[in-house]
Amino acid sequence: MTRLFANLTHFGALAFFALVVSITFAFLSKRTTRDRLEYSLWAFLAFLVIAIGIGWLMYPFSQ
Amino acid sequence: MASETTKGNPILAITAAVAGWIVPGLGHLVLRKWSKAAVYFFCVGALALAGLAMRGGVFSAGEEDLFDRLGFFADLGAGAFYFLAHQIQTAGADVAHATGDYGTRLFAAAGMLNLLTVLEAYDIGRGGDARNDESGTGERSLGEPK
Repeated sequence: MTRLFANLTHFGALAFFALVVSITFAFLSKRTTRDRLEYSLWAFLAFLVIAIGIGWLMYPFSQ
Repeated sequence: MASETTKGNPILAITAAVAGWIVPGLGHLVLRKWSKAAVYFFCVGALALAGLAMRGGVFSAGEEDLFDRLGFFADLGAGAFYFLAHQIQTAGADVAHATGDYGTRLFAAAGMLNLLTVLEAYDIGRGGDARNDESGTGERSLGEPK
């Protein structure tokens, strides 16, 4: 496991974080399995899309 | 007809909160919320172990810098994972590389996430409305409007 995580890219770390946090938030805030699945998926995608969007917004400042 | 209010047990609430802080998910196990206990244990544990495997830094008490002190409180939220961090992470932290820096954030996130689950365990123990596990009976979730 150490080797797997030691070679994780920035995107890989982001995706892992997004997945785990989305599932936890779903169990904290929703009561049925269906609601939890839907919430997990939407939160996961929102994490990815927003992070990539912010990354592109910051891109010009890195030049 | 007057609505019946379920009164919780403050001792049980505090016990669940402390248990949940020490071992993620244990508070919900005490409260017989099996699926939540398992999910919280694996999610918080996975984040914490990933952070340590990535050789992230773990903040210690008595830090001078304000942000380091905040980091200490965030890390402390991970309970047993914080106290066992040095045993788990035998190679030590390496925040000179980006991966170590990501690891620091993941471990702090694990602590903060666990603090949220501790609050929920306390709420359930107090007879709050977060008693929504597995029933699907229409009870209100934590944070949902009444």
